[in-house]
Amino acid sequence: MKNEEIDNLLKTAVQAPHGPNPETLQRIADAIKPSLSPVRPLPPTWAMVAGLVLVCASVSLAGAARAGFFGFAKMDLAERLLIFPALALLAWVAASEFIHAMIPGSLRRISPGAILGFGSAALLAIFAFLFRDYQTDHFFSVGIVCLFTGLLHAIPAALLGWLLIRRGFAVDPVTAGLLAGVFGGLAGVGVLELHCPNFQAAHVLVWHTAVVPLSGAAGALVGWALRFRASSSA
Amino acid sequence: MDLRGRLTARIEPREHAGTDIDCRKAFETMHPNDNIEALMARYQQGDFGAATDLIERIGPRLHRFFLAQSQSRTDADDLLQDTWLRIHKVRHTYRPGEPALPWFYAIARHVRVDHYRKSMRTAIGELQLEAMTRDVGAVQDESDSADNLNALLAPLSESQREVIEMLKVSGMSLEEVARATSSTVGSVKQKAHRAYKKLRETLSASGFKKGQSGVCLEK
Repeated sequence: MKNEEIDNLLKTAVQAPHGPNPETLQRIADAIKPSLSPVRPLPPTWAMVAGLVLVCASVSLAGAARAGFFGFAKMDLAERLLIFPALALLAWVAASEFIHAMIPGSLRRISPGAILGFGSAALLAIFAFLFRDYQTDHFFSVGIVCLFTGLLHAIPAALLGWLLIRRGFAVDPVTAGLLAGVFGGLAGVGVLELHCPNFQAAHVLVWHTAVVPLSGAAGALVGWALRFRASSSA
Repeated sequence: MDLRGRLTARIEPREHAGTDIDCRKAFETMHPNDNIEALMARYQQGDFGAATDLIERIGPRLHRFFLAQSQSRTDADDLLQDTWLRIHKVRHTYRPGEPALPWFYAIARHVRVDHYRKSMRTAIGELQLEAMTRDVGAVQDESDSADNLNALLAPLSESQREVIEMLKVSGMSLEEVARATSSTVGSVKQKAHRAYKKLRETLSASGFKKGQSGVCLEK
């Protein structure tokens, strides 16, 4: 059987369709008429992405300013030139997809899972390439503090990001939450890279990178909870 | 002529006009500058005429979308109303210049999924279920086209059915379907390919015949 034959079958199957009840259409028109006022469309994507990246940079800088720029001071030029532009690029991609998730009918070029996977893998690759100190002193005690610090800064970044594009409408709250979490997580990693002077490979690879997937998972959980609440409230 | 009369007059010919693609082409030939995107921009500016035009033009398409997803006609009417209220509430999220059709379908899809989740959470007694089954049966009797389409797409998964319905019934492009389903073009292509493969296998295995009013699968 050829594809054209299936096309013909589909075409035949949908002929003479029953449209909606005219009263239904009339009711819809009547329902929207009283509240029909001019609305301001959302700004262009590039402007919103720029706003989100600015939020990400602001949270990272503010966090590091409060805790100290010890990590940045200890880094050499190559490390600075690789880590921060990569973080900025990932933040740009995450912000762009976060915005797409908040605008119905937006074209997605990368799936949310791929962004989380690719973002984490890219950070792991960069850290593995740059940091060659394989000692593991105080691996858990110091690591937990870094993870906590990163997540603590991911929350305001994600919340501020959401505040910036709150006029959007998430057709899938779980995806939007996941992307908001990844975006916030990257701000958290930014704080850690600026602040944390512990350059042991295991520490950076595990505890710094973990901020992104954990923050993404937390965001997805919040999205799921919001969706659950919305569907339960009916 | 009042709005209801205009709506009826515009809808009636559609019932005999073949596929939606034909309707779309015919309308766009008659009104080349009055496309959905332009109407949407006017709707955002508070133009009631544009809003009713959109309801007339998009309403039947969305109704068919709901009907093709195994919903009863009553459900499809309810979902259509819910969808339009949601569309009205978030009309500022449409950005002039962007394709409007995927925007409508993305919201319709959200409302449908939301409705499905709500209905799953609602405790339905056995008697109510039986009543619903009878109701759906009655509605299907009155809607041969929806019945035929459902029978044809029955072997497909929910997401495959949705993609085929948008591509082949609503006449949307791959990119438009990707936009409407919040997925990538590659993913839509893959789903469509798998859906066709499944349809080909099922139809070849069970045999088929073309009836006067549609398609019948031989059991």
